Amino acid sequence: MPPVSIPPLLSLTGVSREFGERLALRPIDLELAAGTCVAVLGANGSGKSTLLRIAAGRDTPTTGRVRYGGRTLAEDDPVVRTEIAVVGDMVSAYPDLTAREHLLLVAVAHGAGGRAEALVDQALGECRLGDHGGALPGSLSSGQLQALHLAAVLVRPRRLLVLDEPEQRLDPAARRWLAGLLSAEKQAGAAVLLATHHAELAQSVAGQVVVLSDGSVIGRGTPEVALAAIR
Amino acid sequence: MTATRDAIAVPDSTQPAIALLRELRRGHGKKQAASVAYWVYLVAFLVLVYGGSVIAAAVRALRHPPAATAQTPHVLQAAPAGLAALALIVLVVLARDALWRGPVTLPQAAVDWLLGTPVDRGALLRPRFRLSAALAILAGAAAGIVPAAALVALGLGAGNGGAGNHGASYHGARYHGASGVLRLTGASMLSMALLFAFATGVAGLIERYPASWPWLRRVTPVAVAVAAAFAGLATWAMLGRPPAVLADIALWSGPWGWAGQATVAAAGGAAPLWPLAIGALGLLAVAALARAHRAAAGVPGPALRIRAATLGAISAAAFNMDTRSVAVAYSAAGAARRARFRLRPPRQRQLVLFWRDLLALGRAPSRLVGAVALTLLAVGLIAVARRGGRDPLVPVACALALGYLAAAWLCEGARLDADDTRRSVPLPFRFASLAWWHAAVPCLVLLVVAGVPGAALCLAAGDPRLLVLLVAVPVLIGGAMVNVFRGQYPPDLFSGVDTPFGNTAAVRIVFWYAWGPILAVAPMAVLASSAIGTPDPAALARALVIGAALAAAFGAYAARRAGRLRAG
Repeated sequence: MPPVSIPPLLSLTGVSREFGERLALRPIDLELAAGTCVAVLGANGSGKSTLLRIAAGRDTPTTGRVRYGGRTLAEDDPVVRTEIAVVGDMVSAYPDLTAREHLLLVAVAHGAGGRAEALVDQALGECRLGDHGGALPGSLSSGQLQALHLAAVLVRPRRLLVLDEPEQRLDPAARRWLAGLLSAEKQAGAAVLLATHHAELAQSVAGQVVVLSDGSVIGRGTPEVALAAIR
Repeated sequence: MTATRDAIAVPDSTQPAIALLRELRRGHGKKQAASVAYWVYLVAFLVLVYGGSVIAAAVRALRHPPAATAQTPHVLQAAPAGLAALALIVLVVLARDALWRGPVTLPQAAVDWLLGTPVDRGALLRPRFRLSAALAILAGAAAGIVPAAALVALGLGAGNGGAGNHGASYHGARYHGASGVLRLTGASMLSMALLFAFATGVAGLIERYPASWPWLRRVTPVAVAVAAAFAGLATWAMLGRPPAVLADIALWSGPWGWAGQATVAAAGGAAPLWPLAIGALGLLAVAALARAHRAAAGVPGPALRIRAATLGAISAAAFNMDTRSVAVAYSAAGAARRARFRLRPPRQRQLVLFWRDLLALGRAPSRLVGAVALTLLAVGLIAVARRGGRDPLVPVACALALGYLAAAWLCEGARLDADDTRRSVPLPFRFASLAWWHAAVPCLVLLVVAGVPGAALCLAAGDPRLLVLLVAVPVLIGGAMVNVFRGQYPPDLFSGVDTPFGNTAAVRIVFWYAWGPILAVAPMAVLASSAIGTPDPAALARALVIGAALAAAFGAYAARRAGRLRAG
């Protein structure tokens, strides 16, 4: 019996992005199936964030096509907002809401209803913010704020995680925790698209690594192969 | 709520989420209301304390408006085209607002925490649009006071077009004293409120449909040209007697013309169908607002994200009174058009800075066009000063202030180097000397832009004094360079020093921002007005010699500031 091919959850075909005269991303193909993780590595300005914004439907490619679950990807589609969890360069928060209230808002907005409180407690604990639930954003460290943004992913349903340098501002112990979290997400069936500067993180969670430089793919394959290419 | 490989169905949670946010932020809302109330109180207090005499004069003018003068009938003739020009510019400015800000904006926190959730976008965005529309209508009504006040000050407060004194044609009913002024002011406020409402609706639709953004950028120069033509028609009406049909064309050329009709009629001018015009404008405004309100829910997410970030950057910079950062954030938002202008790089290293400055000017044509327009106005004011005879100081000072603005616009290349001193490290120049090198291109451009119309006027009138603006160009560029290299805004300016006359903070802040223009405009205004006020050619020669010395001194001062900027 021939193997059944599973259609990818997310597929990018010939996707490129120009900003005025600057070509930020040269045409790239990428596929991501449920339960897998692709990590994107590259220096600052190599096009990682541009690629991830397009993959999350938050930017429109200059050329190419992006499909999600068999439909054209657009953030304005409520299904996309329901299923794709994004952690990007968010730095803001409501100054008058506590960490717990932020998470409660996200949980309720995603239809958690009566389970919202329990979900928030669980996420605060998992993200090591159990003692900081009542803290206002102004009193949290940058690492704790980043953990809060990651906790916001855990209080909502998700089929695809798009994470742009989620390890930034996290200490080494928190980065190990992050690697464990992403592996668990993958095992639960979610697809993970991760941009990172940490080769170790990519190596520990990704099945495939794409290396970008100046908007072009310069290496691709298993973590070992791709990382060898850039070394 | 876990990760899954299957499709996810979520019930509509819009109402619970919005209700929860309101509940959680109730205290914040109260604080915000108290803050707004405090600012309203503070502004009202300052207006009453410092503007008491102005308010008293306004009340007196309301009861006894200034009488018509010999110029009043000409003002009335110019009003239709002048008001149409003003309304068209207002419309363009408000519509272009949609290119970077738009009537629908969300705070950064709402963008980061709610925009990516399945909450209905309409519930998030429509209230923001309603708020913007209400504020725009209020702002429009307030802005309507300005043209009304100008017309009253020019003798049209009695509503008879100056007919009582000077026998111009009389079209409207005759009103006296306060009723005439109130009628004129009310008509202007209503018209401007409707125009602002219409513009907000249009801006809402433009924000919703990104495909319209390039169209708006293309149509802007056309609209500005039409407004300039109306302004030219108004000038013609002030100086001569253009065919009356041209004023009718201006009044019926579109919503901008309709917006002027009630005011023209209230001033005693010829606009007999003004109720029809104001009704049409009202209908259009309601239709545009209703359509934009429906469309608000569909404003694209990426646009909302970029706008929230831009507004955050601009608010932070404005809060710190950092005007340069405000300009940079606005420019980064992409509202201004960048032309694809190319220029072959020079072979000699010494020319690289000129090449870069020319490139910067060529790629921002709006900057060049704005500088040309300001310079033409300045040349016109110099001509007025020469005709005016006895006291040319005020028009000359205004002309030089406009010339300074044009010079400052052309110095963007220098400003980029001053923003970040590391940028110029590869250049074969000392940083302090950049103030001199960067002055060359703007100085040449301004000499050409002011020289051509100045020389034409000079030849036509046979009077070399009309070239006085050319003499001032190097001084204005020198003043602009002094401002360019002033460095970061020092926060200690806010504290000031307590003196028997009050705290010096406000004065120091004003001087910090306006040091360049004060240095350049004040002495040149005296020199140029004395040169214009006398037929003696020695005065022009004196202005030329002293101006050259001032320009050299300002250049050296700017270079010294640049040196300190690099060192600091």
